[in-house]
Amino acid sequence: MPQIPGLLKGLGVTFKTMLQPTVTVQYPHEKEDVAPRARGVIALKEDNCTVCMLCARSCPDWCIYIEGHKTKAPPRREGGKPRTVQLLDRFDIDYSLCMYCGICVEVCPFDALFWSPEYEYSEVRIADLLHDKDKLGEWMEGVPDFESYEAGSEQKVKKVPR
Amino acid sequence: MNTLTERQKLAYIAGQAAEARINVELETEGMTLNIGPQHPATHGTLRVVAKLDGEQVVSANPVMGYMHRGYEKLTEVRTYPQVTTLVNRIDWLGSFANEVPFILAAEQLMEVEAPPRAQWIRTILFELSRIANVALFLGDMGVQLGAITPVFYAFRDREYVLNLIESATGGRFHPNFDRIGGIKDDLPKGWIEETRGVMVKVRRFCDELEELILGNPIFAARTRGVGVIPGETALHYGLSGANLRASGVDWDLRRDGASPLAWNQVDWKVWTHPDGDSFARYWVRLQETREASYIVEKLLDGLPSGPIMAKVPRIIKVPQGEAWVSTENPLGEMGYYVVSKGDLGPFRVKIRSASFNNISIVPWVLKGVYVPDIITILASLYFILGDIDR
Repeated sequence: MPQIPGLLKGLGVTFKTMLQPTVTVQYPHEKEDVAPRARGVIALKEDNCTVCMLCARSCPDWCIYIEGHKTKAPPRREGGKPRTVQLLDRFDIDYSLCMYCGICVEVCPFDALFWSPEYEYSEVRIADLLHDKDKLGEWMEGVPDFESYEAGSEQKVKKVPR
Repeated sequence: MNTLTERQKLAYIAGQAAEARINVELETEGMTLNIGPQHPATHGTLRVVAKLDGEQVVSANPVMGYMHRGYEKLTEVRTYPQVTTLVNRIDWLGSFANEVPFILAAEQLMEVEAPPRAQWIRTILFELSRIANVALFLGDMGVQLGAITPVFYAFRDREYVLNLIESATGGRFHPNFDRIGGIKDDLPKGWIEETRGVMVKVRRFCDELEELILGNPIFAARTRGVGVIPGETALHYGLSGANLRASGVDWDLRRDGASPLAWNQVDWKVWTHPDGDSFARYWVRLQETREASYIVEKLLDGLPSGPIMAKVPRIIKVPQGEAWVSTENPLGEMGYYVVSKGDLGPFRVKIRSASFNNISIVPWVLKGVYVPDIITILASLYFILGDIDR
């Protein structure tokens, strides 16, 4: 009977685990905290977008659709020339194609795209996963502030425009 | 073949005899058994065609390609920053480790080197993905042999590691955190403290499994002496990683390779086992998981301060040339051969993935074993289908 101690030891581990509190949560009723950096959904700050198309071009599966037009805006100073600005007509992200790689957020030079850790936006129809600029703008509410860095870092903490 | 064990020799003779019997003695016909493409023991869609004589395997051949996604071709139509998000999906359990060799190859071509802090954070995340990957094997091997409990423990403790990867990189499975010249972002505040706590949990998990599985006589009876691969044969078949070290070959690219990552800055041990059987492969992986947690702790102690990005142009164009870089990934040696013609994207990429070479030994090692041992051996070789088919 040299096998008995090995089996008993294993059963001891199982028994000890049985007495520990559970690690799972009852999902729809309880929710776990998501890390602030988690890549849940992309939020769009429409005022900052200049229709430069960098995000649409750098997307690995080309799931961002942008259209815009040029328009004249009133001059900044009295008596100046009217400025030419780009206005955003359409900004769609197809979340049925998105790989959540975050390259679009990273390349945006004007701070118009942000990650929100929100993840509950599944749809019954796949076509509904195409979020237009209004829906993407709504996600801005859920964007958390950037975390401060660990000691020894030389990175600057950026600010989220509100 | 003088390096064969006694059991392997007997199995060989029995296999040869079985093959001969089919044709001559009894005029019986062998049975062809398809294991897969949909079989829980294959972790995906690998098909093993086994010719049986009774309970004994006469010959077995793995059939690959059911999940071929064509990554080598896909990389040719993407820019360098876009490739990292693709190669994340090759070995989906330890995905950060897939990015590193590709980025190192691109850095080698561009002749930039990431600053030390970036290299250390890379190494820490690399080892974390190793823990996340191998922890699943440690639980999963139990399931293959009929023990359900360990896999729950594995998923429980792996979750802590995945949470760490998520809070640092933003992605649980597909971090896409490595950049040419450094990493995307620095660690968030409080991450180091959290990691230390998780590493203690990982070690406790290893202790639990040691009592639960390695001490279990049923596990020992089903794995000891099953699927013995002698070191010389393992080398001939191009095995790497823990499969090779379990055969007694002391070879680890983290220590032996010329990598700019921070492994050579800390002390750690390469674990080997002389037996080369399924039990040894499990044992080596268990020790490596524990060792990885020590490596992470030591790296956290000495994390240098400084910038995390070297100076690289905003639009990355890699100069003309060729580079081969391989690292010791959770499954074994993984390497990228990158050919650049000076464009935005690579001209050609050859991916050497560990699992593809690791299962090339399947026809050899399955010859002459009995049917229940097929599952043990396939599970202990530990491949990931995404890594085989790419």
